[in-house]
Amino acid sequence: MSDQWSDRLSEYLDGDLTEAEHLAMEAHVEGCRECAETLAGLRRTVMRARSLEDRPPAHDLWSGIAERIGTPARIAAAPRRRRIAFSVPQLLAAGIALAVLSGGSVWLLQPSPLTIARPLVEVPGDAPVTQVGVGTVKGYDAAVDDLERVLAQGRGKLDSATVRILEQNLAIIDRALAQARQAVAADSANLYLNSHLAETMRRKIDLLRQAATLVSAAS
Amino acid sequence: MFLLLALLQQIDSTVPVERGQRLEVSTYAGEIAVKTWNRNAVRVVADPDSRATVEIDRSATVVTVRTQRRRGGPSMVDLQITAPAWMALDLSGVYTDVTVVGARGPIAVETVQGEVSVEGGDGLVSLQSVHGSVSLRGAKGSLEVHSVNEDVSVTGSSGEVTAETVNGSVTLSKVDGTSVTATSVNGDLDYDGPIRDGGRYTFSTHNGDITLSVAEASNASVSVSTFNGEFESSFPVTLTETRKGKRFSFRLGTGSAQVTLESFQGTIQLVRPGAARSARDEDHDEDWE
Repeated sequence: MSDQWSDRLSEYLDGDLTEAEHLAMEAHVEGCRECAETLAGLRRTVMRARSLEDRPPAHDLWSGIAERIGTPARIAAAPRRRRIAFSVPQLLAAGIALAVLSGGSVWLLQPSPLTIARPLVEVPGDAPVTQVGVGTVKGYDAAVDDLERVLAQGRGKLDSATVRILEQNLAIIDRALAQARQAVAADSANLYLNSHLAETMRRKIDLLRQAATLVSAAS
Repeated sequence: MFLLLALLQQIDSTVPVERGQRLEVSTYAGEIAVKTWNRNAVRVVADPDSRATVEIDRSATVVTVRTQRRRGGPSMVDLQITAPAWMALDLSGVYTDVTVVGARGPIAVETVQGEVSVEGGDGLVSLQSVHGSVSLRGAKGSLEVHSVNEDVSVTGSSGEVTAETVNGSVTLSKVDGTSVTATSVNGDLDYDGPIRDGGRYTFSTHNGDITLSVAEASNASVSVSTFNGEFESSFPVTLTETRKGKRFSFRLGTGSAQVTLESFQGTIQLVRPGAARSARDEDHDEDWE
């Protein structure tokens, strides 16, 4: 994968290339596994962002999390054109950041179109992947802490069997996270390991969010 | 328009409905069983205990069936509902098993502790349980099945399929999907269905095996990634690219479909359709630290 091509993948995805450039990119991606994989990752990230529920969570539950993430609690709907500007390491960062967003701050992104004008995580364009992968996502840990607090405070409102199941599954995810982090530490440039870590982080946020929703519904 | 507040112990009530109306059912504990008929009407049969009531409400857009606690502790109500096949269904409960048979519209089901079994559905079909298995059969459209602590399965269905669980397996059998995503943290993933040209198939698990059925005529670019797992194929493949770590790619036919197979520490296996799954450790150790 060369920078000449990889740097223009998001433009390709956005349909911003000329017809000739588009055809050239298609031909290149056809023969370049890494670019094809990166393009698939970009598409998955965009699809995940698009699939975020537009149902607003209980505001009292999430406002603190939004504050922690360092983003205004609500962004007015703006019919701006979808624009993605990721470099390859930023793609990984965006994937992890989306884990936070999809779990705790869905209202930050409108159902469509998606606008990510700049990287959601502060990662220099040529930063090594290690800076992205092992838990450097702004707000993620804090968002997890907040959601875990919601669950801890609300566990008395839930059936004990439900609490047990939630905690067992959170423990399963935590073990997977620990193993994934360890693997990334050992092979920081491994795209699979980084994306697997991001996906596992998302799973934890999703489950915590689900638990928080159950607490909220039982209140 | 409020139609009925049933204080009697048993209710058997039928209300007329019009195309475009959807059915919302919510209960706390018990069962919601929906079947379909050709009449434009919804029939509700219930036998609530003395602590519960069943309310049926109807507006221009929705027919609502709700159970309410009247006194005392939690109540359990089994609701047997017959609805037009075209009617969109929105069914929810807490300690609730949900069964749907014969629906041909969109379906949404959410329960906390309960099994979900749906046969039919068209359009957006979304089924969720925290502690209960979820199975979907004979549906088409955008299909989402989700559990936390149990298995999920989709059988004989088509469309865009997303199947997810944390501590359970995902089985996709006779699924004809152009976009298929199956994920688990601690469970196996099985896919048995055609791989369509231009389709996207993504399977990812942390601690489980992946078994993918691949027909001989399939055209797919296959990407395999694992950290501490294995790869097996019942037919020869020629790697087109290998990367550091256990990551490699190969092409089948024209390579039209994109297939991504990722298992952190399980076995990724390709088999021909109908081939028996290889022997698998049935005693899945949940304490796999």
